[in-house]
Amino acid sequence: MFIYSIKRILWLIPTIICVSFIIYALMDLAPGTVVDSMITSEMTKEDIAELRAQYDLDKPMVYRYGKYMLRLVQGDLGKSQVSGLSVWDLYTSRFPMTLRLALVSLCIGVAIALPLGIFAALHSGTIWDNLTTGIALIGISMPSFWTGLLLLFAFSYHIKIFPSGYNGTLASYVLPAVTSGFMMSASTTRQTRSAMLEVLRQDYLRTARAKGVSERMIIIKHALGNALIPIITQVGMMLAFSLAGSVVIETVFMWPGIGQLTIEAINRRDTPLACGGIILTLILFITMLLIVDLLYALVDPRIRAQFAPARRRKSA
Amino acid sequence: MGNEHITNNGLAAEGDIVLEVKNLVVHYVLKKETVEAVNDISFSLKKGRAIGLVGETGAGKTTTALSIMNLVPDPPGVIKNGTINVCGYDILKLKHNELKKVRGKDVSMIFQDPMTALNPVMRVGDQIAESVRLHENVSKAKAYERAVEMLELVGISGERASEFPHQFSGGMKQRVVIAIALACSPHVLIADEPTTALDVTIQAQVLDMMNDLKKKFNTALVMITHDLGVVAKMCDEVAVMYAGRIVESGTLEDVFNDTMHPYTEGLFNSLPNLENREAELEPIPGLMPDPTKLPPGCSFAPRCKYATEACSAKRPEPRKVSDTHTVLCTRYDDPSFRIKRRQSNEQHVS
Amino acid sequence: MNKKSSQTLISQKYDRKGLLSEIWQRIRTNPGAVLGMIVLCILMLTMLYGIFFISYEQVTKMNPLQRFKPPSAEHWFGTDEMGRDLFLRVIYGLRYSYSLAIGAVAMAFVIGTFFGSLAGFFGGRVDTIIMRTTDIMSSVPTILLGMVIVSVLGSSTLNLLLAIGITASPMFVRMSRASVLTVRGNEYVEAAQAIGMSNFRIVFTQALPNALSPLIVTLTSRMGTAILEIASLSFIGFGIKVPLPELGALVSSGRNFINPAPHITIFPGLFIVLTTFSFAMLGDGLRDALDPRLKK
Repeated sequence: MFIYSIKRILWLIPTIICVSFIIYALMDLAPGTVVDSMITSEMTKEDIAELRAQYDLDKPMVYRYGKYMLRLVQGDLGKSQVSGLSVWDLYTSRFPMTLRLALVSLCIGVAIALPLGIFAALHSGTIWDNLTTGIALIGISMPSFWTGLLLLFAFSYHIKIFPSGYNGTLASYVLPAVTSGFMMSASTTRQTRSAMLEVLRQDYLRTARAKGVSERMIIIKHALGNALIPIITQVGMMLAFSLAGSVVIETVFMWPGIGQLTIEAINRRDTPLACGGIILTLILFITMLLIVDLLYALVDPRIRAQFAPARRRKSA
Repeated sequence: MGNEHITNNGLAAEGDIVLEVKNLVVHYVLKKETVEAVNDISFSLKKGRAIGLVGETGAGKTTTALSIMNLVPDPPGVIKNGTINVCGYDILKLKHNELKKVRGKDVSMIFQDPMTALNPVMRVGDQIAESVRLHENVSKAKAYERAVEMLELVGISGERASEFPHQFSGGMKQRVVIAIALACSPHVLIADEPTTALDVTIQAQVLDMMNDLKKKFNTALVMITHDLGVVAKMCDEVAVMYAGRIVESGTLEDVFNDTMHPYTEGLFNSLPNLENREAELEPIPGLMPDPTKLPPGCSFAPRCKYATEACSAKRPEPRKVSDTHTVLCTRYDDPSFRIKRRQSNEQHVS
Repeated sequence: MNKKSSQTLISQKYDRKGLLSEIWQRIRTNPGAVLGMIVLCILMLTMLYGIFFISYEQVTKMNPLQRFKPPSAEHWFGTDEMGRDLFLRVIYGLRYSYSLAIGAVAMAFVIGTFFGSLAGFFGGRVDTIIMRTTDIMSSVPTILLGMVIVSVLGSSTLNLLLAIGITASPMFVRMSRASVLTVRGNEYVEAAQAIGMSNFRIVFTQALPNALSPLIVTLTSRMGTAILEIASLSFIGFGIKVPLPELGALVSSGRNFINPAPHITIFPGLFIVLTTFSFAMLGDGLRDALDPRLKK
């Protein structure tokens, strides 16, 4: 398990380098350079060349990338061209907003999805099951921005209960968290249902019943205990995707998180900020996926054992 | 269909009967058809005794066993008729709340496939301790202690209680399942083909161990198997099942040495003969009838070499041959009818 | 078991028509799949109607006197902030979502199965390289890649296609690789090798066709996801831009007027939901039909 984790964590490094290089290269390809806006008509050719050299524009792109990554490791991603503030500081100041929203959404999503999924699985084949799975299917078919806008219209414009954007109050969390939680719950419900269905037909539940375990405990302890393994993966993935894809919800609700930060940067052609924002989000995403993977191994004793130090395992 | 006396061994000592099945009928009602799995069977069992339910796959043995636990999957299973009495509890009428007190405490079950019978994410010690905790008012630590004891009793070192099922082999898993079943020393233990899924070498070990434990706990045993050898080794009484009915029942002696039913005879003939290795095996021709379309008369008639027209026409009624021995065969309406095995046995005697 | 499965695989291979018609038979009995298919057919016909009978002028011509009209007999979905008929705009806009989704998923399918089959069939270093690349590709979220590609290369259809196609392909790589791996050891593949068939031919005529059914299921459900992704990218301004009436862009332009005129937001969104939902239904139905294990 330990060696497996180390291997996976080490593999993180080339992945991050490759992915960030691709992003960096793409951003670098963009027409126009950092210095374009600094060039004034009074500048001589030498001045311009000097300015370009100052930003390493006379060197190959790989050189700039290497330098960029070296500074990234030190938490220095340059300064925003628009505000002049450090990219790292800007990002880390906005990140809690995104994380908080994602966590609240996740709680809402799981709170809806777990009972619904279990309910559907227990009533598999009945009208209740069809109804639940149908709603979940509609849920995964709805674009989050559209759902968000409908909620916004209903509960912010039509009935004025919740603010339409972030204003520092807890109430402003409600609409975005419900929107994003609803999206998460749709796919998690499906996952919960299928995981439970798979577990419900297992023989060990019969063993538990034969022991005299009550039906409630069968579901909660024995069935859910096993079904949780795939569900945890699903939930972890949801969290990773909601952090990386936060831009959509944040656009709808004007949420001052990392998504908004990045998109504003792109729109204002603030390349250092855009590049830094995207690469940091990527690293975050990849790390989340890794954590989900490790968590999966941690929850399932069967997988855990595969990586355990050799011990007597099977002896009749 | 008043064949409730088909095996009536226990009348002499009423108080001792720990399991009584009467007129049990279980059907699986599917959309298009109804599977008649168990059709009116009755038997009873005294404390400490063992009965073997023998028959081919699909004879209704497992359904009978599940009915005793009231664990017949519903839907599609429907218990149409009958009563099951375990230690004074009318199992089929119990509410869920009362049922869960009986299961595991008074009656336990060992399942056929040990590979899937254990919860893969719970430590085996906890799985045994769970049973103890449910039925006895003991602390967590105490229950775990008991679990470790039980493990040692089934021949697994106690320190392995903290391991997960996947760390055990099939034979050891079955020992764990047995430990769970016996953890609260139940009065009745149902073993549904407990050794079928195991290697031949392990089978004998597990059976020996079960036999020892059965004596130790004075548990009544319902042994479900298609292996007559297992029955001979473990049981005092035998009930041979065919297409959901008990076609012959009696003591081990009655059924093995004084075989009456053509089907039982067929079972014996399809076993290799140890004394005469040259003898050819005589498998029973044909297949078990489709349980959704049972023939109107005797279910075995289409495969029976003694069958007459009368056999296919009417349902056979149970016939008491002796106090302990009952057979379900129309041919015995003719007092001179003898199956082949009996003829040779009689010749042997004379 | 092994023998049996290889036998069924052989019969699948040499009886393709039989397999397809069997799949069809099973889909037909699944009401969800049939419903999904019917709705998709209607939507496709609607899109074709838009292509042949609605002109660009019709959907871009402004009419200041008709702004923000709610749905009526004259304007089924009402009019937008420029007085343009929303119904026409939505119908006209279907082509962007659909052609992009079909194009991107087809691209992912072709690229993904090609490399996946190679990886599965040849194993060894080829496998390692392809799978590592796949791992890396799958760790870039579509939205992020889309934002980068579009902001750098501009918001052309091709760029959107690239962004969505690239991020959709890892799934096909993994699935086709797994499928090819399971059939690789089968007798009929060995037989093909024995009669001297080239490796390429074996992969594409012997191994891959047997891996088709799970791929078809993925293809279908992936279509819905692609439509959502396109709409999301357009919504945040990195997809197809107004005045072109792509569905996500329409929702985006409607959000500023959601208070007086919610219909501008609602109707295009409904079409996204309808399309994605139909694909999801069809995908679920196909999965049940093709994989009896997962049936309830």
